[in-house]
Amino acid sequence: MLLKKLRIVGHSMEPTLRNRDLVLVSGIQYLFKKPKLNDIVVFEEENKILIKRIIKATEKGFFVAGDNKKDSLDSRKLGIIPKNKIIGKIIYAF
Amino acid sequence: MILKLLSKILREEKAFAHCDIPCGIYDPHNAQMAAHTIIRMTQFLSEIKREDETKAEHDITRITRVKEKHSNLLEEELDTLQNDYFKEEHFKDYPNLAELFKKTLKASTKARQNIDMQAAEEALAGAQDIAEIFFKTKNVEPVRVKSVYPTGGEIVTHK
Repeated sequence: MLLKKLRIVGHSMEPTLRNRDLVLVSGIQYLFKKPKLNDIVVFEEENKILIKRIIKATEKGFFVAGDNKKDSLDSRKLGIIPKNKIIGKIIYAF
Repeated sequence: MILKLLSKILREEKAFAHCDIPCGIYDPHNAQMAAHTIIRMTQFLSEIKREDETKAEHDITRITRVKEKHSNLLEEELDTLQNDYFKEEHFKDYPNLAELFKKTLKASTKARQNIDMQAAEEALAGAQDIAEIFFKTKNVEPVRVKSVYPTGGEIVTHK
């Protein structure tokens, strides 16, 4: 995937990304290097595209969480996200 | 410039920033209330008197701010219903539902960007039709009751 235009649905990435914000996601970044701490990434989970921030890298993948600490699913429920599930990285917010 | 071009040519998809609860409590009432407020503000803007220009500008600013806020609120409520409540099977059972959301959101945007009573009324009509479907999916009978708002019209609720 080279580029995707995504509309944010939900509040778990606030205040960084708000509901209905539009972002550009690139898959190119991770062709040649690994996702890293603090990257905002998109990944697939149960046929949906989810968006979270990488909080920690582990041997098996990445621990992710939303920026809205009061109201966000994170890897304690989603599980560690393996690299092959990560679609891309946010490169621009419109 | 390139990014603006990309934003126009790329197809839009959704990325879910899911919240932790979810509470399971959904109600189309707030969307209808927001739509009635947009109509009311549009009425006020159409009735502004210009004898005192300073007062007129002051009032226009305040009324427009409320119209913007309630248009955004309507869209947020519709987003919640569309993406959190309604499931794939609902969109299959009611094939006009996706188009109804699209039409209602478009009307809300138009009502926000202009002083457009027709767009405001279309936004309310869409919110009401969505409310009817919502209650049908809950296996309760939707009814239209007279609203007690100064905008008149109706609110969709259930028996």
